[in-house]
Amino acid sequence: MIGVIAKREAIALFRTPLAWALLAMTQFVLAYQFLAQIEIYLQFEDKLRSMPDAPGITEVVVTPTIGTAAMLMLFVIPVLTMSSISGERRNGTLALLYSSPVKCADIIVGKFFGVCFLLSLVWAVVALMPLSLMWGAPLDLGTYACGTGALALLMMTYAAIGVMFSTLFTQPAVAAVMSFGLLGALWLIDWATRLGQDAGLFAYLSSLNHFQRLAGGLVNSADLSYFVALSIAALAVSTWRLNGDLKPL
Amino acid sequence: MSDDLLLSAQNLTRYYHGRKVLHGVDLELKRGEVLGFLGPNGAGKSTTMKLLSGNLGAHDGVVRICGHDMADAPLLAKRHIGYLPEVPPLYLEATVDEYLKFCARLRKLNARDCVCAIAKAKRECDLEDVGSRLIGNLSKGFKQRVGIAQALLHEPAVVILDEPTNGLDPNQIRAVREMIRGLSKQHAIILSSHILSEVQTLCSRVAILHHGRIVFNADLGAPSSAISLHLGVVVDPAVLEKIAGVESAVALEDGRYLLHVDNYDRAVEAVCRSAIEHNWALQEIRRDASILENVFVELTCNDAILES
Repeated sequence: MIGVIAKREAIALFRTPLAWALLAMTQFVLAYQFLAQIEIYLQFEDKLRSMPDAPGITEVVVTPTIGTAAMLMLFVIPVLTMSSISGERRNGTLALLYSSPVKCADIIVGKFFGVCFLLSLVWAVVALMPLSLMWGAPLDLGTYACGTGALALLMMTYAAIGVMFSTLFTQPAVAAVMSFGLLGALWLIDWATRLGQDAGLFAYLSSLNHFQRLAGGLVNSADLSYFVALSIAALAVSTWRLNGDLKPL
Repeated sequence: MSDDLLLSAQNLTRYYHGRKVLHGVDLELKRGEVLGFLGPNGAGKSTTMKLLSGNLGAHDGVVRICGHDMADAPLLAKRHIGYLPEVPPLYLEATVDEYLKFCARLRKLNARDCVCAIAKAKRECDLEDVGSRLIGNLSKGFKQRVGIAQALLHEPAVVILDEPTNGLDPNQIRAVREMIRGLSKQHAIILSSHILSEVQTLCSRVAILHHGRIVFNADLGAPSSAISLHLGVVVDPAVLEKIAGVESAVALEDGRYLLHVDNYDRAVEAVCRSAIEHNWALQEIRRDASILENVFVELTCNDAILES
């Protein structure tokens, strides 16, 4: 049942110009950044070669591009997910799902996977660009895999949070604003620690911290579990909210 | 529980923002029955239909579909439900075929049954020529029919239709009525409508909801037992009441009279004979079909009934 709902969601996303526009815009911005980073690398190539422990092309080109992609997703994913449930609520199509023999959890997970399918394409075009460097430069595949893997985790978590706000609010625009607000707050929350104050909880909550560690090649279970736990929590809240309609007590 | 009792709802109660909108609604529906659900706007018809179709939870009360409790075993209960809400739940960006396939898969039909079910539903709802068109580009009548098709796709035991003829032209209305009549043999149908004549012609039973309470729930046995009479002269209603078979007579304006009778055929004959004998210049005599309307108006305009 999850597959049926996920497939419809993915097809529906592709039927709207919104998905295509977001894909094109993301690709344009990231390709530009990628080319700009290559240009920078070429300019400083000689200098870098003479330095001991100098950053390689992966650190100079791939890691910043993935960082930009992660930041872009702060804007892209809330827009993609904003109507996943709230749109159904507004159009009255939620009634079709509610009156069918389908669990609320299946609806939510189906919606989530549908969005994830589209996002996997966005992820793929980001992940494929650095591979083109392999024609002429030694790519550090370990760092590359960590960077793209961290991006995939981050996008998955954002999608789950986007779906959650889409179940909490009836108006898609409000859902988008709220998910953007939460994702932005989680991204920036660590700024207090960077100013020198002790903020252990803030440092833990910061998605930027976890992402940067993973993308930098430091794979550890604390960072992985942060993203997984956040996703599961968001999907659980979404399911709880949908069930709330059916069980008012 | 009898095998033929397909739907039973007991003591359905629902609050909206602290306000009680349904006060213990009881309903039962057997195979072969078509229940007409009437009520003024805001009486709670759509809320009741949402509760029956599992779209909303009741604060109190039980809904059982084919013996399955909607609260305890919603997946089993919902297998036997086909629901058309007031606004048909359509994905405008999908084609009719894609949409119906999605609905069939949601209802857990396997791939082979899907094809048969979709073909059958399209045939029944006259959608065979629009299978590849986007739902968003269809006319309102077609959209409504796609909505009905999705409700019938999995041959549910209980079909819940919220204003199914809304937005259809007279030919389509007739076609939908024919369809409902055909369905009523195998299924139990609940149908809400504002068109009283529609309910009168289609339904075997009528429930009227007012202020969240069922104020009328009865079989529509004999279709009508009233005569509308138009005479060219003024006659005292008391004289009309003396005619054999006439139980009561009321004078309306312009020489029109409303007679309540026990046997329609016998009474018409007697009234005609009297009219000729007394030279009443009989201009029109016909069956009065407004009984349901009278019941409806009486029950829903008069709040004193509720207090009693």
